[in-house]
Amino acid sequence: MAGLAENDSIKAENLVWIFGTGRGGSTWLASMMGELARRRFWDEPLVGKLFGDLYYSGAGTVQSDWDDFVYARKYRDAWLRSIRNFVLESASVRFAEVAENDYLIVKEPNGSIGAPLIMEALPESRMILLVRDPRDVVASNLNALGEEGWLAEQHRSAPRPGGDLARRNPDAAIKRRAKRYVENVRNAKDAFESHEGHKVLIRYEDLRADTLGTMKRLYSTLDISVKEEDLIRTVESYAWENIPEEEKGPGKFNRKATPGGWREDLTPEQARIIEESTALLIEEFYPSREQGNYG
Amino acid sequence: MDNKDIKAEDLVWIFGTGRSGSTWLASMMGELAGGLLWNEPLVGRLFGDFYDEILPRTRGRDTFIMAEANREAWLEGIRHLVLNVAESVCHELGTGGYLVVKEPNGSVGAPLIMEALPESRMILLVRDPRDVAASALDGHRKGSHAHERASSDPRKAGALAKNSPDNRPGAFLKRQANRYLRSVGNAKRAHDDHRGYKALVRYEDLRTETLETMRRLYRELDITVEEDDLARAVDKHAWENIPEEEKGPGKFNRKATPGGWREDLTQRQVETIEEITAPLLEEFYPV
Repeated sequence: MAGLAENDSIKAENLVWIFGTGRGGSTWLASMMGELARRRFWDEPLVGKLFGDLYYSGAGTVQSDWDDFVYARKYRDAWLRSIRNFVLESASVRFAEVAENDYLIVKEPNGSIGAPLIMEALPESRMILLVRDPRDVVASNLNALGEEGWLAEQHRSAPRPGGDLARRNPDAAIKRRAKRYVENVRNAKDAFESHEGHKVLIRYEDLRADTLGTMKRLYSTLDISVKEEDLIRTVESYAWENIPEEEKGPGKFNRKATPGGWREDLTPEQARIIEESTALLIEEFYPSREQGNYG
Repeated sequence: MDNKDIKAEDLVWIFGTGRSGSTWLASMMGELAGGLLWNEPLVGRLFGDFYDEILPRTRGRDTFIMAEANREAWLEGIRHLVLNVAESVCHELGTGGYLVVKEPNGSVGAPLIMEALPESRMILLVRDPRDVAASALDGHRKGSHAHERASSDPRKAGALAKNSPDNRPGAFLKRQANRYLRSVGNAKRAHDDHRGYKALVRYEDLRTETLETMRRLYRELDITVEEDDLARAVDKHAWENIPEEEKGPGKFNRKATPGGWREDLTQRQVETIEEITAPLLEEFYPV
């Protein structure tokens, strides 16, 4: 088996990473961006999860001072080089048709735990931090895990331990989901703050309220040229209003797309649980928003 | 070994499970390899845990980073990472013939590691699961070596309290047995599939016939060692030469007595472990 080449056809600066959290509108954003990038769209490779789980779990946090650990601080350059290689080689194999100056959109909300490592390994890449109110994220997730939910349906076809927690003990499921939100968004935020390349922070609520304006800002901040008419057409094509009615609603992947909808979806106690777990991030991204019972 | 260009065939992997004599074996082998020992990098865990825990429908997606359709690409990525970091480790350690990689707690990823590095040498080290569980039970009790190490780190406090065998020894042993099944099961699969040099070593044989077992191991791995060096390394690391104050209940070096589980475990505990690890017990310790 030959060694990996350091220079692959896909350049690090042409990767545009979307980090944040699942149920944060990343599918919608990535679909629009993928369309504008002529469908060059890498849908949830989970490479951030691959490299982030061990590093940010107990093993990594406890052992990075230990010189024999694969993620030893002492050998940081060596393993970061390998992560870079892993990503670029994998991207090049999958997207062999991508030309030298084409962009590849990488939708990776559920790999956000590894965002700091990915962005450090690929400092030339572009990065989007997509955030959404954690109460709406958890409400959306809870709905998907409900009896008629699309995620519950997936779990039924491939059962796993704790897969039915949302039905057995909704409060425990909410706590778990809020914890995952913090893990993902906190690490994505850390990566965003450290990243010195092109980057943009997008709030789902702004994207929903003023899609075209927000998309224009996104592309201009990332220093990527797009034609105005292409942008308008794409925004229109993926607008919530243009999704067929039968594909929208409770239990469906496209649920309600209503910022602040958590007030109808969650009990005060459920909102309090989420607010307690995610307080620092709410304060950071939603400082002026009315809170539930907490804070 | 050229530090600028470490080769996959220079790596000797020890897979199996924790508390099975891997520290002892690796110490002897590291001694013979000029001190070149990579002690628990957990690279097997990095890739193995992730791959094992991912849902089948995710594995089936072409966009997944470890999708079957792109197996060759990500295996090369694993190879690159292992050799790249190993080269840095060797650079620190100096020159030698082989790099012994002690990786019992990364055995869940053994099949991926060995597939990515087919020229590497591999040792499958097994020990009776009842003795492994009894040793882990003793080591994790309050005041014992593993408990002390963990309790000195505040980040481990939560897990320590939750998983302590002092509160629920039955649940602790069940987890240990399941871990054994997963680790040794995957290490065995890697050993079965590996076409390169490999050796199967039972801890019990290593304990009763250390020198002879070590000779066989090196022969099967096609590695030349001087008889004098081998005898010296075996002697230096012999159980009998460990100071008395470093041995005994609660210590890392506990009793090194195959079959000691008969004194350490209750009948019910034994049955639990036997039930969970049955396929491997049958394979390696047939009645």
